[in-house]
Amino acid sequence: MAAAVPGASRARAAAALLLLLGCCGAALASGPQDQAEQFFRSGHTNNWAVLVCTSRFWFNYRHVANTLSVYRSVKRLGIPDSHIVLMLADDMACNPRNPKPATVFSHKNMELNVYGDDVEVDYRSYEVTVENFLRVLTGRIPPSTPRSKRLLSDDRSNILIYMTGHGGNGFLKFQDSEEITNVELADAFEQMWQKRRYNELLFIIDTCQGASMYERFYSPNIMALASSQVGEDSLSHQPDLGIGVHLMDRYTFYVLEFLEEIHPASQTNMNDLFQVCPKSLCVSTPGHRTDLFQRDPQKVLITDFFGSVRKVEITTETLSLHRDVAGFESKFPEEELATEPLKYAEQLPVAQIIHQKPKQKDWHPPGGFILGLWALIIMVFFKTYGIKHMKHVF
Amino acid sequence: MAAPLVLVVLAAVTVRAALYRSSLAVFIAERVEVASPLNAWKRVVEGLALLDLGVSPYSGAIFHETPLIIYLFHFLIEYAELVFMITDVLTAVALYLAIQDFNKVVFKKQKLLIELDKYAPDVAELIQTPMEMHYIPLKVALFYLLNPYTVMSCVAKSTCAINNSVIAFFILATIKGSAFLSAVFLALATYQSLYPLTLFAPALLYLLQRQFIPIKLKSKSFWLYTMQYASLYLCSLVVIICLSFFLLNSWDFIPSVYGFILSVPDLTPNIGLFWYFFAEMFEHFSLFFVCVFQINVFFYTIPLAIKLKEHPVFFMFVQLAIISIFKSYPTLGDVALYMAFLPVWSHLYRFLRNIFILSCVLIFCSFLFPVLWHLWIYAGSANSNFYYAITLTFNIGQILLVSDYFYAFLRREYYLTHGLHLTRQDGTEAMLVLK
Repeated sequence: MAAAVPGASRARAAAALLLLLGCCGAALASGPQDQAEQFFRSGHTNNWAVLVCTSRFWFNYRHVANTLSVYRSVKRLGIPDSHIVLMLADDMACNPRNPKPATVFSHKNMELNVYGDDVEVDYRSYEVTVENFLRVLTGRIPPSTPRSKRLLSDDRSNILIYMTGHGGNGFLKFQDSEEITNVELADAFEQMWQKRRYNELLFIIDTCQGASMYERFYSPNIMALASSQVGEDSLSHQPDLGIGVHLMDRYTFYVLEFLEEIHPASQTNMNDLFQVCPKSLCVSTPGHRTDLFQRDPQKVLITDFFGSVRKVEITTETLSLHRDVAGFESKFPEEELATEPLKYAEQLPVAQIIHQKPKQKDWHPPGGFILGLWALIIMVFFKTYGIKHMKHVF
Repeated sequence: MAAPLVLVVLAAVTVRAALYRSSLAVFIAERVEVASPLNAWKRVVEGLALLDLGVSPYSGAIFHETPLIIYLFHFLIEYAELVFMITDVLTAVALYLAIQDFNKVVFKKQKLLIELDKYAPDVAELIQTPMEMHYIPLKVALFYLLNPYTVMSCVAKSTCAINNSVIAFFILATIKGSAFLSAVFLALATYQSLYPLTLFAPALLYLLQRQFIPIKLKSKSFWLYTMQYASLYLCSLVVIICLSFFLLNSWDFIPSVYGFILSVPDLTPNIGLFWYFFAEMFEHFSLFFVCVFQINVFFYTIPLAIKLKEHPVFFMFVQLAIISIFKSYPTLGDVALYMAFLPVWSHLYRFLRNIFILSCVLIFCSFLFPVLWHLWIYAGSANSNFYYAITLTFNIGQILLVSDYFYAFLRREYYLTHGLHLTRQDGTEAMLVLK
């Protein structure tokens, strides 16, 4: 009996050890699980946004408001202006028909001014063309283009591309005079993929028959959303009777309301974005395409595309850098003469520039040259007139 | 004759000064018809500013003036307007003196030929008299100074005026008979813009005529004189080019000036024929056509020398006209120079056939240049074809003018030796045609 008890205790110990091992194994197994999960988290290091409004004229106010509201959200969530390429085909804020100049509203009764005072438009007015847009995407830009007009993304960049305007089955109209087709867009994205210009790309389009624009994509890591299916029109939201035009499109309006809830640390994922604007609110059926995207949309955070990894928070507060150190001020007594603030015109002293005396010349012809030239001239003179005529001169 | 000349000079200076002070000065200075990439004032200022910054002005493709112009304007840039007015006055005075002497020569030659009975009996009305030739030098000075083309060119401060004055001094020196000075001034003119090289032939012919050396290919004195003149010319050219080297201690100016003139890289529209062709042409052919176009300028010298060897000053006029029509960057200043000579051949008026239509063409084209330019560049409703059409018409007008004068001159010469009333073999009146 004494042999059975140690055997049973050994078995119990072995079972306990096995259980422990099992637990450890489970724990360790969850380690690779975590690692695997980490592996499938987005590996981007920077965020870019390309926001395009393709229509001009006053009655297309809503397209500019759409783009500016996405711009505002993206900037609020941390992407700085240096990483945003904003293309607006027309200037609504300073349009002569705008009863509230320097504003672009997205909600009626002027609740939200999406124009603000720190909007940086990179491509404006007639610069918004298909050619420029494709050049921005593919990076084939003339060397003289300033940095603010370039998409300087790399293979670790997540890019948000938002386009709005008037579109049709397979095309999007630019500026009322040209179009970009879905084939061209797909080709541009493929060029971007081959040049390693993006890590992941989120393409959102708010036009009529918008789903046709993402039909032709074939490059990996692209997720696309559209406001309406082929054969459907995207409708505008609400007009403001004071301004006289429709302020926003429905889809982007509800996307904006959705994005207003997001903050830089939120964990909301793409599936929630797909649910924005159901048919009851939007009248059109929003569509999305995720087959080219490698990760599960459930695991893709909104801030992966709309926010910035750096979690930059833009503040409008000012800091005072004065130091109230006694004795410090005595070195800088208040001796400044009271000067009137210069008016704008006076700050550009054009009159002074025009009428100033010519400045001292720094270059002088070499002495040898002057000597040689005058020697030649005198020789010619003497040869022609002869030395005997010199007595008439003197 | 001095007093009327002084009056004319004063009037010209007043007109120019008035225009300098007016708002038209800026407008005219920008016009492509008077300011070409070779002689625009803007580029001279730019080149001098680059020098002040320590950079060679030839380093970019802006400045195409010769180093002597740099030297001249380095000291005179503040008095630029005065310099250009004085240049115009000097040109006019030089032309005045030259034509005065030339008239004496013509008259002497005419008298000699009459005494030698070389003229037909019925050509009394064709003989030039001193009375009618008395005012020709004044008219020449007047034509040069008060020509709207010259005034515009002066107000635009285009260095074409300096080139014109050097050519005028060259003509004066040639007509006075000084081979040395004529070679020096011709070298200066060639040094500045390559094309006066072709004026070597008429100058040589005139000097040979003056020295009474017959122009026979076998004659030793002919070759001796030619060699002397050619060596004077080439030596002075070489000396001037070598001297220019010492201004900036580099040979940069040679591709910038002569390479630019010959290879025509800048296709800014002007009143010439090159820009449109080369703008439309494929790269593959441009070398060939540049050579063709440049040879075209120099090509007429030999046939004209053979035909006009007795009349070298007329040859000079025709050659100047050919240069200003076919050169790579012509401006209205070049046109003004040969137009100043037209009074010298006012006796050919009765033989000119197309003078009315040609003057209409030239005047209308001159007015249409700024109109079509505005329509093309500013209004956007025309294109380069419109402007080139006017350029072509203007040049055709000029070519027809020159060929009309050429025909009239030869016709007069023929009449002088064969009589005014030409009859064919069967007694009917004959018509002289230029074959």
